[in-house]
Amino acid sequence: MSNPSEAMAVPDQRADAEEYYTHVEGVGNIPRDIYKYVTSDPLGDLPRYSVHIVIQHFLVVVTFLVLVLTGLPLYYSDLFWAPHLISMFGGADTARIVHRVAAFLMIFTCLYHVITIVGGTARKLLKNQFDYKRTQIPVPKDLFDLIHDMKYFFGLAPYRPKMEKFMYKQKLHYLAIIWGNTVLITAGAALLFPDLMAKIFPETLARLLPAAGKSAGSFPAFFQELARLMHADEAVMALLVISFWHLLNVHFVPGRFPFQWAFLTGKITREHQIEEHFLEYIRNLEEIPEEKEYMKNLLKEKGFSKPASVSIADLSRIH
Amino acid sequence: MRPTRFFLNFCLVFTAVWITLIIGLPAEAQDKENCLMCHKYRYLGRIDENGKQFNYNVDEHFFAGSVHRNIACRECHASIKKIPHDPVTEDVNCANACHLKPPHSQEKFSHTKIIDIYSQSAHAVRPEDPPEVKAAKPNCKFCHLNPLYTRVEEKLIDYEKTLQRCLNCHEQKGVTVAYMHVTHRLRKKTSRSPQQIVQLCSKCHDDREMMKKINVSEEALLAVETYNRSIHGKSIALGSEMTADCISCHASNALHDIYKKDNVKATIHKDNLMTTCRQCHEQTNSWFIKIAVHPRIEREKNPIVYFASIFFRLALYGSLFSMVGLMAVETYGRRKDGVKFLLRRGTAWRGNPKNR
Repeated sequence: MSNPSEAMAVPDQRADAEEYYTHVEGVGNIPRDIYKYVTSDPLGDLPRYSVHIVIQHFLVVVTFLVLVLTGLPLYYSDLFWAPHLISMFGGADTARIVHRVAAFLMIFTCLYHVITIVGGTARKLLKNQFDYKRTQIPVPKDLFDLIHDMKYFFGLAPYRPKMEKFMYKQKLHYLAIIWGNTVLITAGAALLFPDLMAKIFPETLARLLPAAGKSAGSFPAFFQELARLMHADEAVMALLVISFWHLLNVHFVPGRFPFQWAFLTGKITREHQIEEHFLEYIRNLEEIPEEKEYMKNLLKEKGFSKPASVSIADLSRIH
Repeated sequence: MRPTRFFLNFCLVFTAVWITLIIGLPAEAQDKENCLMCHKYRYLGRIDENGKQFNYNVDEHFFAGSVHRNIACRECHASIKKIPHDPVTEDVNCANACHLKPPHSQEKFSHTKIIDIYSQSAHAVRPEDPPEVKAAKPNCKFCHLNPLYTRVEEKLIDYEKTLQRCLNCHEQKGVTVAYMHVTHRLRKKTSRSPQQIVQLCSKCHDDREMMKKINVSEEALLAVETYNRSIHGKSIALGSEMTADCISCHASNALHDIYKKDNVKATIHKDNLMTTCRQCHEQTNSWFIKIAVHPRIEREKNPIVYFASIFFRLALYGSLFSMVGLMAVETYGRRKDGVKFLLRRGTAWRGNPKNR
């Protein structure tokens, strides 16, 4: 087991053949670790993101950086670097306007994203191509994938799990972005329009819950303080997660270093797709004839062409 | 030849005029009685019986740049009757009517009106005050030191408010006309930057020992700290000119009418808050004025926000460290799988024998 090439020599004898091989009609039996033998273009081989997603990612990167650079010095105003950083944006009063413009652009990007997702889903539904497995919708499988993956990392499982287009990490991050954006936009609006928000929250609450209306006097201060807290905390969290997790994860871990081009080209490399999004790759094989041809030739070349439809019951007969 | 010569002459005159204008003439202070004859010396001073040192030097250029440059020395230092004078025992009285007359009226100028406002405010010394409170209260000169009179660019306030500020000292007659000439200097609430105001007020209000000695409320004791933590305080700390400083909220345009919260005349009295907040927050409503301007997150007073802050902090570190931990484990596991750092010659799994 320690040397994969030895195991490969007699593929049909593997005890875990069911898990190891995936049979695709017209291609053959694809081993789970085929990603170690494929060639990939660093710029990407297989489609992953549409041009809209690429534009949205670009807009989010730019607005996020501007928002962080103009917002952080205000939160840490007593630290030595804060005045220098804020003066790069023309002082506190100009930075405030820059922050609001960037925030507006980010909200626009969010709306653009929602429209893209809703529109794309509607189109797929009409064509009867929609599959919830290829979306960001979290399913129980993600949790099992996480456990499986942890087992694999500690050497307790032989292969990585077969995952869909979006794996557990990405779904978690996507959910975090939805939550973070909601919090940041709501709390940010409460900071930008304190007078309006002071009115809307308690009045709505008093209308929904007449019992709570009596003590509504303390609500404005409460909501405002919560907004101050949440806006800053969520922003710092976003910054830390982006810089210590997202950035490292996509560009600096082995196999992705020094740069993953997916956010610019919208394409994913073949070995990455097979390693972390195996089920999506199987779909790719069915959708893209060239990819099917490539995989067929690769299997032949590397000696995986023999059919492996041997069941465990047959093993004794062969020996 | 002629047009060239004309042009050259023109250039010469033009340059000469502008050089003269740019260099300018040195500012001159009002010193009719020639006090500076002695006081110009830098080490003019004395040491008293207790060994305390006094310096009586007056920097001519500095004085010439101050707001009091047109006032003769003896108009404020009125106790001096002859030169050379005897040791001065009397303090300057800002309520003196000096000889300066504004161009639009014949009244003698005096700070009496503003002193009246001040003497009703929370800062004025009252007969019933205990001695330590009396000692702690600031008089005119405590805040109005000439070194703080520097030119600043600041938030502009509107015409009406500016005019009101003139009327603090002047009579209404003629002021409106005079206003036209000085508008560029007066269209601010104070002649100091917000940062200087905060610095000035903090000098006493941030001195916990002193504040405890005069028995202020707990809110007042923490006022500077909580302000510095608020959005107003943070913006001011970063050099904002538009954000509220201490006197934006605690005083009206008369500037010296600072009262305690429970006084009906106070700008921060609950009946006046609407007007006070509306100076900047135009949409102020009855809900808005309930928001804490000096926020304090404390377990007893604000349990939900307090525990929310702890929850957010835990969520922050929890998610960050679990994510980074996941990444570390993942990197370890994938390295064991044989992945190399670089994607080179089409693969990141170069070590594989079948891959050569």
